[in-house]
Amino acid sequence: MANARALDKRRKSVRNIKKITRTMELIATARFKKAMDRAMASTEYTRRITQVVTDLANSGTEVKHPLLEGRDSTENAALVVLSANRGLCGGYNGNVVRTGQQRLDELKDTYANVKLVVSGKRGLANFKFRGIEVHEGYLHFEDKPAFDEVEPIANEFLADFISGKLDRLDVAYTKFISSAKQQAVVETLLPLGSLDDDDSEDTGGANNDYEFMPSAESILEEVVPASFRVKLFKCFLDAAVSEQIARMVAMKNATENAEDMIKNLSMTYNRARQAQITNEIMEIIGGVEALNN
Amino acid sequence: MAGINCVVVTPEETALEQEVDSIVVPLFDGSKGIQHNHAPMIGRLGAGELKLSAAGSVQRFFLEGGFVQVLDNTVTVLTGQAVEAETLNVDEIQSQLDELNSKGPAVGDEQELRAQQVSSLRVQRRLARQNS
Repeated sequence: MANARALDKRRKSVRNIKKITRTMELIATARFKKAMDRAMASTEYTRRITQVVTDLANSGTEVKHPLLEGRDSTENAALVVLSANRGLCGGYNGNVVRTGQQRLDELKDTYANVKLVVSGKRGLANFKFRGIEVHEGYLHFEDKPAFDEVEPIANEFLADFISGKLDRLDVAYTKFISSAKQQAVVETLLPLGSLDDDDSEDTGGANNDYEFMPSAESILEEVVPASFRVKLFKCFLDAAVSEQIARMVAMKNATENAEDMIKNLSMTYNRARQAQITNEIMEIIGGVEALNN
Repeated sequence: MAGINCVVVTPEETALEQEVDSIVVPLFDGSKGIQHNHAPMIGRLGAGELKLSAAGSVQRFFLEGGFVQVLDNTVTVLTGQAVEAETLNVDEIQSQLDELNSKGPAVGDEQELRAQQVSSLRVQRRLARQNS
């Protein structure tokens, strides 16, 4: 039978771990709520931008922009992988890196130069481990990505795309589908394809005669980059929300496991203790018997 | 006087939603006033001041680029960032401006960017000076 004291020690350490995971779970829950609120607040902007585009289209403007059109050239592509700075969040980082790498291999087959941009310490470490060169890494994105921080990155990609230094931009991130489901996905952000969002609703077709200042074309010129920037920003927000959920779930599981372990250890400990006592009694009785004889 | 509903939306949040009497938006080529029953309009914004007047009080914001949409007495301002003019600090902006000016001449692509930054800072400085 195992040593009772060693068992007790183990039980204590498991208890401490449980306390830590429980706290981490609570922190992740609080952060998730905040990140979620931010993500919800940002949908308003996307909705309005989409509406402006719809209005532009309704007014007879041809929605045409260099950012919307695909390129035949297969020179340069870029892949952005959004991972977390910290671990202890289950398969979150692993999934997004795996999905990203798959796309990276595909891109490398068709494009001559593929630039890899990774956000998050975990992703960087993972690619380094796999021996893949990362061209640019960001570490400053935590659970609250700010638009000010994402904008310069977006502008850089925009400038590269317009000047022809970039033909395609993909982003691998964990999409937030619902609070019960998040999925690591790869999306092509440049060329933008179509401006209509998946969740765009028909505005009822009330054709308003807008006055455009200065002109519909000029506004379209501005709307498209803005739409791209906000799309990239949304990816960062989604990734942040998903990370918190992943951590929450992972920590919840860890806490539950710790509880089970404590239960098992307690049982073994009690048995060991009882066996020890029985042993001692037997020894005493044996001694007494020996003396009596 | 009948009011208009003004909504300021940034990618991060809905910064403001309020009933006001009149609005002055900074279009790309100058300011434009909007009052009740304005015709539907979509306009491109430049760097400048957004002024909301409601019942005698005036709220001022600094905007940089974006769009304004006017429809059914609702004015939607879409912009990257809306900064309340009262939070702008003259000295801070001046030092940023000095720093830019001391960098020496910009070349090539930078030229346009620099000119944009300088003019945006100048507008911010003007707004900040109105504070006092």
